[in-house]
Amino acid sequence: MDEPALIHSAQRGDLDSFNTLVLHYQDALFNTALRILGDDELAADATQEAFLSAFKNLTSYRGGSFKAWLLRTVTNACYDELRRQKRRPTTPLEPDTSDGDEMDSPRWLADQNLSPEQKAEADELEHAIQHCLENLPLEFRTVVVMADIQGLDYTEVASTVRVPLGTIKSRLARARLRLRECLQDFWELLPAAFRLEKERI
Amino acid sequence: MTASFRDVELLSAYLDGQLDSNESARLESRLKTDESLRAVLDDLREARGILRQLPQRRAPRNFTLTPQMAGIKPPAPRAYPVFRLATAVATLLFVITFVVNGLSPVAAPRLAAAPAPAFGMGGGGVGGGAPNESAPAATQAPAIEAPTAEAFAQSQTATETPPAANDNSRATILSTQTSELAPKAAAPAPLNAAPVQVQPEAPARNQAPVSFIWQIALGIVALIFGLIAWFLRLNTERKFRRQWNNK
Repeated sequence: MDEPALIHSAQRGDLDSFNTLVLHYQDALFNTALRILGDDELAADATQEAFLSAFKNLTSYRGGSFKAWLLRTVTNACYDELRRQKRRPTTPLEPDTSDGDEMDSPRWLADQNLSPEQKAEADELEHAIQHCLENLPLEFRTVVVMADIQGLDYTEVASTVRVPLGTIKSRLARARLRLRECLQDFWELLPAAFRLEKERI
Repeated sequence: MTASFRDVELLSAYLDGQLDSNESARLESRLKTDESLRAVLDDLREARGILRQLPQRRAPRNFTLTPQMAGIKPPAPRAYPVFRLATAVATLLFVITFVVNGLSPVAAPRLAAAPAPAFGMGGGGVGGGAPNESAPAATQAPAIEAPTAEAFAQSQTATETPPAANDNSRATILSTQTSELAPKAAAPAPLNAAPVQVQPEAPARNQAPVSFIWQIALGIVALIFGLIAWFLRLNTERKFRRQWNNK
């Protein structure tokens, strides 16, 4: 794929070229939205919104990592969605009892005081990680998703979230530490296949 | 010794290879002696490793954009601008004909002349004031009272005295009225020499500057050109959509 040529054509309004880029990056954008929002449907909506916005504002792309530029549009779409949710709080996912108490807490809303049985339910690495990611403040979550899940370097992350490089380093360190603490609760429950292999530096 | 937050930041950046060689060397020498630092480094490395192992989900559908979503319109057919312009011009001319006819000085006399038959029919024989009271303001003064004997005398005066005849509209009104009164008031008729002279002028001046036929023709032309332009556009859009769906 000749990315610069496709971008150039798309900037002149060629939708076919842009759609080729969409097919190439749609998984990355969807996964980013999914990790930030934690909901498949909302993530799909944010991804579609991001691609639409990207096409309309393609002339503002002035070189550099196109993936990072696209990830910035999807991050903005996610922030918009979260702001909308804040303005219009949704009803609880679990039905209330007659006393008005929630009947049961879904596992992805589990807190630090999970019972062993509830922890056993979170037996998939993905759910455990998603739960821990959602416990992070939004700005930490975004940085860790960009750096550790999407594999952007520090400079790209800084340009994506538009904060100084020093802030990125600080947020990433805090986010990793908090994630490690959170994942500690699920550590023993992780299937052997997902056990961490010690990395070499 | 416990690691400070500054140490955590350094260790995190060290994992990502973001430290320069001096900083890396200093940190590595500390790691050799400081067990708590090594523990933090392990924690950070494990967290990073787990995130990197997180399976990437496939997008649930394709997020490609359609021309409609992107707000792209099909290119207009070559003849489209011509018909669009023709429609605009014809419509403009169509509107102008109404404006010209409305603003024409003929409009006023025509309005004033409209109630005249009523005078002739109702007022001529009776000679009373009842119909005159309901007459429009435009036909005030001598004109309103025309059907009466007094008015008739005034009209005579008006036709005889040149200064009164200077007022075109009044003269026209009077001429119309006197001409209608003529059959009913047989005696004064021969005296109305001046109105009789004006009479042949009246039908020509009562005609609108733009005839009704021209207005209809312009309206039809505007409509036809508009329909052609719309059909051309619609046809192109259909073709464009079909072409896109076949891709």
